[in-house]
Amino acid sequence: MNSTDLKTAFFIAYKTITKGHKSTIALIIFILSLSFFNLMFVSGFLYGFSDGVMKSMIDNSTAHIIVMPQEEPTIKPFVFDQDRVRAEIETIPGVVGTARHYQLGGTLSYDKERDGNFKYTSAQIIGVTQSEEKNILTINKYMVSGKFPDNLKDDEIVLGANLSGGFGTKQTKDLGGATVGSKIQINYSNGITRTYTIVGIFKLSMVGSVASAAFISTSEAESLLSTYNSASEIMVKVDLEKNTLDEYTNKISQMIPNLKLEKYTSRLSTVGILVTAFNLIAVIVSVISIIVSAITIFVMIYVNAVSKRRQIGILKAIGIKESIIEVSYIIQSIFYSALGIIGGLIIIYFVVIPIMAVKPITMPFGDAVLVYTSFGIIINISSLIIAGILAGYIPAKIVAREDILKSIWG
Amino acid sequence: MIKVENLIKTYPGEVPTLALKGVSLEIAEGEFVALMGRSGSGKSTLLHQLGLLDMPTSGSVVINKFNVLTLSDSERTRFRLQYLGYVFQEYALIAEFTALENVSFPAMAFGDDSAKERAEHLLDLVGLKDRMNHYPNEMSGGEQQRVAIARSLINNPKVLFADEPTANLDTVSSEVVFKLFQKLNKELKQTILVVTHEPEDKKYVDRVIWLKDGLIKDEE
Repeated sequence: MNSTDLKTAFFIAYKTITKGHKSTIALIIFILSLSFFNLMFVSGFLYGFSDGVMKSMIDNSTAHIIVMPQEEPTIKPFVFDQDRVRAEIETIPGVVGTARHYQLGGTLSYDKERDGNFKYTSAQIIGVTQSEEKNILTINKYMVSGKFPDNLKDDEIVLGANLSGGFGTKQTKDLGGATVGSKIQINYSNGITRTYTIVGIFKLSMVGSVASAAFISTSEAESLLSTYNSASEIMVKVDLEKNTLDEYTNKISQMIPNLKLEKYTSRLSTVGILVTAFNLIAVIVSVISIIVSAITIFVMIYVNAVSKRRQIGILKAIGIKESIIEVSYIIQSIFYSALGIIGGLIIIYFVVIPIMAVKPITMPFGDAVLVYTSFGIIINISSLIIAGILAGYIPAKIVAREDILKSIWG
Repeated sequence: MIKVENLIKTYPGEVPTLALKGVSLEIAEGEFVALMGRSGSGKSTLLHQLGLLDMPTSGSVVINKFNVLTLSDSERTRFRLQYLGYVFQEYALIAEFTALENVSFPAMAFGDDSAKERAEHLLDLVGLKDRMNHYPNEMSGGEQQRVAIARSLINNPKVLFADEPTANLDTVSSEVVFKLFQKLNKELKQTILVVTHEPEDKKYVDRVIWLKDGLIKDEE
């Protein structure tokens, strides 16, 4: 196809569009706008869901990278000299901050009516320094009662609502409604028993997060574990716009080669399965949306081409190449697809996103938002354009192949 | 200009129809010839084979020294654009194009930079200078047919084929069309082969070929 052929194809497409029925063209563009909106909305919503879950996990439970004690050649119970380790990690450009955790296990008990009828539940107990912790994990933003003080005292504890009970939680095993000010006992797995006053209750809905954990102070955890300046885990938060997660992990592992590193992605467990499933659903729904869009364009272009059969026959009779006619229909398809894409983007960015900002859809991890990456948008646009080209080409090819006399006189 | 030998056209079907039973004829350059005969005699079928709108079952057709039946599909398309002009019974204009665009379009497709100027000249020649920016649905049948004639001439065809070009026109418009053909033939030495069933059209042409039952019956 030379430039004259292309110019001729453009001319046919231009005249067909500009002299076509305005209402039909508007309807085609409207339908394609809805198709593209559907493609964008469903994928954006599902990716938004996955993204929200991941963010919630990173902000409330795992941070980005978890530094754990040495396992090879000998297993060590803690990361020792954690001050030095964290200081080293924090020298890496892009590292936002670090916080240390002590991990303990124990059984919580509470006698609500003080009648000797205790309720018990097992839980993970985490020793934290809240003044550092709040820069890394944001549990303090989810307090439903009391507070998470920066200087949590050794006899104070902060509980997840899943442990305390109440606050709309529906756990099979909890303390039956412990409130701020209540005293609870913990029997630690090392045999020590301590009593704490609840100073705050937080509520997180995400499965697999720290929603069912209790927080005590670092000094209390150190006294229980008989250690000092150590950590069961060091949580590292990074800026992923500066480097990739792998790049950060590599740098940390070069600095402290003996310690074990884990990325948040491998800590997601149930949530990870959920996220993977949602991402898969997003891909499937996107593919289905593209197929539906392609079929829509195919039907519209086919109906358009069939209704223009006589015109196509005349064009062939006067010596216009089939390829020029086919390209003219592809150009029309691209035109309709492009306007459909613009229409879909207008609906998304000027209607749906503002509506969702005013009336958000509340999800367990927060308000649902539509998440788009430039790459994702380009993929969606390219997919619809490619679908449009194919869906425009095939019916044009079918009709353009017809016998000239049959096309003109039927 | 045109040499046809033993042209046979059979339309397939449960009962195949033999539309042309071995037609042979010659048309000289600059000749104005009418194909006449009753309905079903094969005159339009013959015109379609010569105009490369259809493929005959067998035989040979030489136009301007090209054995056109040996050409590929794309070569036949190019040949139609470059060497042949075609006027249909039902005008066959592109509804979305103005008269000027309808006429200039084949030249534009041929890569002629002066397509517009030549189209304007041809529309002037067929007496439609004032109607060139009108769309087909804004013109009378006679005007549309004159646009179709102008279009058929835009690439300086070697042969102009016209398939019952006045069948849908009133007497006055028919006369205008045939006089226009006559003018093109006399002034531009345009070779014209026209299918008609009106006996009075004989007065415009150089020669009449009569067809009956798919065979040439007579010439006058």
